[in-house]
Amino acid sequence: MNIEKVILNASKTDCTGCSTCADFKADNLQHAIARLNGVSKVKVDEITGKTTIEYDTQKIVLSKITERFEKLGYKVEIVSREEIQ
Amino acid sequence: MIEQFKGVVLVILLGLFALAGALIPGTQIAYAHEISIALTLIAVALGYRIYRHGIRSLLHKNITAQLFATIAIFISVIAGLLIPSASATGTAEAVGYLTASAIVAFIILAGMTLEDYIIHRTRGALETLIKMSPKTARVRRDGKEVQVPIDEVKKGEIVLVKPGDNIPVDGTVLSGHSTVNQATITGESIPIEKTVGDRTFAGTLNENGALEIIVEKVAEDTTLAHLIQLVEEAQEKKAPIQNIADRFTTYFLPIMTIVSSSVFVASYFTLGFEAALARTVTVLLVACPCALSIAVPVAVAATIGNASMNAIIIKGGTHIEKLKDVTLVAFDKTGTLTIGEPRVVEVKTFGNYSEADTIKYAAIAEKFSEHPLSKAIIAKATEMNLKIPDPTDFKTIPGQGVDAHFGNKHILIGRKMTETIISVEANQLMSKVESEGKTVIPVALDKNVIGIIVVADTVRANSLEAIQRLKRLGVKTAMLTGDNVRTAKSIAGQVGVDEYHAELLPEQKVAYIGELKKGNVVAMVGDGVNDAPALANSDVGFAMGAAGSDVAIETADVALLGDDLTKVEYAISLSRKAFNRMKGNIVYAFIWNIVALSLAAFGILNPVLAVVLAEAGCISVVINSALLLLSKPKPLAKIKG
Repeated sequence: MNIEKVILNASKTDCTGCSTCADFKADNLQHAIARLNGVSKVKVDEITGKTTIEYDTQKIVLSKITERFEKLGYKVEIVSREEIQ
Repeated sequence: MIEQFKGVVLVILLGLFALAGALIPGTQIAYAHEISIALTLIAVALGYRIYRHGIRSLLHKNITAQLFATIAIFISVIAGLLIPSASATGTAEAVGYLTASAIVAFIILAGMTLEDYIIHRTRGALETLIKMSPKTARVRRDGKEVQVPIDEVKKGEIVLVKPGDNIPVDGTVLSGHSTVNQATITGESIPIEKTVGDRTFAGTLNENGALEIIVEKVAEDTTLAHLIQLVEEAQEKKAPIQNIADRFTTYFLPIMTIVSSSVFVASYFTLGFEAALARTVTVLLVACPCALSIAVPVAVAATIGNASMNAIIIKGGTHIEKLKDVTLVAFDKTGTLTIGEPRVVEVKTFGNYSEADTIKYAAIAEKFSEHPLSKAIIAKATEMNLKIPDPTDFKTIPGQGVDAHFGNKHILIGRKMTETIISVEANQLMSKVESEGKTVIPVALDKNVIGIIVVADTVRANSLEAIQRLKRLGVKTAMLTGDNVRTAKSIAGQVGVDEYHAELLPEQKVAYIGELKKGNVVAMVGDGVNDAPALANSDVGFAMGAAGSDVAIETADVALLGDDLTKVEYAISLSRKAFNRMKGNIVYAFIWNIVALSLAAFGILNPVLAVVLAEAGCISVVINSALLLLSKPKPLAKIKG
């Protein structure tokens, strides 16, 4: 086990509306990322798109995670990255 | 689940505090007024989710109903606590303002929670798929069976699947025999037989026998996982119609600023400060940009979710809009409208020989041949439970047939075997069958024809219905094939397509699609691999039988995971319905906003009524969109264009 915590900024231009819309997108994103093999924790802030992810570096590389974001139509930017275990 | 529970608890708590705050002034308790204010303020504070949304959306320049609500509630609270007239006329009105803000917060929070729940349900289709893949697998390691988490299973290992269990991996059957229900992947609900050498998919149900499977793909690499990811990605791709909704919401803030400040100014000079304030608050509360912006994405997600439950993958909102306009569907013939491999469809016999004799001798001669026609004959013999001994000797003559011996019997197979004596009767029969586009194989025993085997590529069981469904929908149909005119005509007649075009080379198919596109919106249905260029040139490319072929799924706009062609009609019908609903929702939300805003501006609504209206508008749009998830294919007779 080698857990790393990363904070990403995920943005998408197509949600101009209400909280319902933002919650909806965040919910989908959260599920999609959580199902990746090796990802143990995901928290998506529904408005800012700030996403905190904890993952096992022996099971998945960060680029795989960001690739998933991109496939889902998000632009990602890594804010911080630290080893926590 | 826990979060939803938390949401409901918050709504209930807020309601209870608001209620207590409103009731206490009527009692004899000491400091009733102060307690009431305190309780009401707590109630308002419990709506923190609204303000959090409101404030942060402001920071990110997103205009939301929560932003307006936050401003309105803030104004009401301040008014309730500070307005001199309220304290001058006693405490009743001050509490009135506060109570109203608590009720408003309650309704909005309840609305948000309900919307969250409905939207969460939209994911339902996907969740069902996800649940189908087991989290653990029984693996044989060092001669022992161990249960391990699925992400620890490695390629090349052997997993054991008991009857009644879901298969955890994509792989090949090493031993065992069973029937497997592959409905999750192909939508086909009739189980199919699996035995040594057959491929299995993760997430399918092993019914009655134990299987040992060599692992080829695990976890995220399985076909099921790819499908889930595709659906997730498709749901995120917006439909062009959303741009209209987005444009409205962009104008929302300037319009609202103008409307609310004019209402305030106008009522300030006519009705005074307090009434002006109340009206402005009402205007802010009634505005519901949410209904406009949520209408399309929820409908897109629900439609794609619905399609995936029917083994159809629509790869994004754009394709929903294209699908609804389709006026002509072009089908590839071989492997699409037909099964794609020759089968024995008829056996004619002469003299005292039976059907079984004819097939038996033909099968003996063809036993070791790899020719597709031989395979059809051997398959027929197996189907008839015939025992096929080895031929004594055999010789395949390319382009002509087979010359074989079985004991002292001389077997000749094929149209061009010159030694065969073909009777006038047999010759007439063969010419007739050939004119129907089928292939005839005469079987001769000691040079005399004993029977004729008729082989043809057969039409799929549901091709006819698929075409009929499209016709009822008012969609034209065409068949494009590289095959000869005779065969094409025969198949076209059987399935009932409006037009057919034969002897087309792959690049001619592409060009022909271009021709059809003049005046039509064309969907092309093919296998997705050989037809990839034609699919790409059409307005909407359908790949059929796409499960297990990543290439086919990749190239298509719509992938039919199984080989049920009736799904083409369903995809079009569903898209029409979905698009109408999106359009309807946008128009409805727009009118709703205008009407509610006018009512508020002219003082016909109070703040509580305003917020009830706004939430009702938004929730009805969300429900209306989410209901697309429940849509089902109609029986043939009920389809209307």
